[in-house]
Amino acid sequence: MKNKILIPIIAAGTALLTGCGTNAHYIQSGGSQSVVSIGQINIQDYMQAADAMTGDLIASGVLSRVPNPPAVLAISRIVNNTGQQIDMDLLTKKIRIGLLQSGKAVTTTTFGLGGTAEDPMAKGIQQENQFKSDQNTTRLPDFTLSGSIIQLAVKAGDTSQSTYSFQLSLTDPKSGLAVWEGEKDITKQGTRSSVGF
Amino acid sequence: MRTKLAAIFGLALAVAGCHSPSVNTVQNAQPTGQRSMISDSRVVSDTTLDRRVGVVGLNTAMTAGGFLKVQVELLNRTRSPQNFNYQFQWFDVNGMQIGVSQTAMVGDEIDGAESKFISAIAPTEAAKDFRLKLLLGQ
Repeated sequence: MKNKILIPIIAAGTALLTGCGTNAHYIQSGGSQSVVSIGQINIQDYMQAADAMTGDLIASGVLSRVPNPPAVLAISRIVNNTGQQIDMDLLTKKIRIGLLQSGKAVTTTTFGLGGTAEDPMAKGIQQENQFKSDQNTTRLPDFTLSGSIIQLAVKAGDTSQSTYSFQLSLTDPKSGLAVWEGEKDITKQGTRSSVGF
Repeated sequence: MRTKLAAIFGLALAVAGCHSPSVNTVQNAQPTGQRSMISDSRVVSDTTLDRRVGVVGLNTAMTAGGFLKVQVELLNRTRSPQNFNYQFQWFDVNGMQIGVSQTAMVGDEIDGAESKFISAIAPTEAAKDFRLKLLLGQ
């Protein structure tokens, strides 16, 4: 008799706990509910930095100063000077998308650092076409984008603070001069209880 | 008596140490730059945020490349620093939102009694309108 009452109660309680136990849910990428971690660059930091520098680059007007717009951009070396492993595409892809949508610049995927193409198939097809037409139709980049991400970490008592400095330069490869420079600093601060891995 | 005085003195020191500085400003009485202010429509669902960080006004301009630039003046109506988040949304001439996945939510801070400007540049020339979202920070 007791088992007939207890077992369903236990089963219902287990189901209730299991159902209420998971709190996984979707949030907006880079939104206000995103986790802010001091020791790492978060997705909202990449979005914020890319947004700010893309806007600054567009507003500068330098991309319009090319003989055949839109300008062709090649991604050069962006150095990681932080204490974490970073995939630079998290920053550069957002910038590339922003510039492409603006109509001011396109990025070459057949010109890469050290001769490595981002899209080797596109490069192969391009070379095949050039061979067949006997014409060099490659449009060389008008600008190259390079830079670095630097981390400055400080601590005062229980308070930890990290500043991530996103620095980019746009270079005219014909002259070797930087025609645009941009920097975005993102600083995060927290107490010991909020610092974690 | 001495104990009471010591306690009052200690309390005064503690209060002084906890004082959050607010901002004094000084500027040209007849500023050269004239802002092109626009009338705005506001929806306030968070009165706490509005009491603390209020929108003073909006002005717009066009960049040399033909992109819409928006500047918003915010005022911290309290005497202590406030954290807030903001995000600009952009719309084309048909009212369709542009660049949904690209617009970042920005976290910022405004000092006590500070008047602060935040600004953004539209992602494309097709952006003709905008909306600003403000959220109280953590």
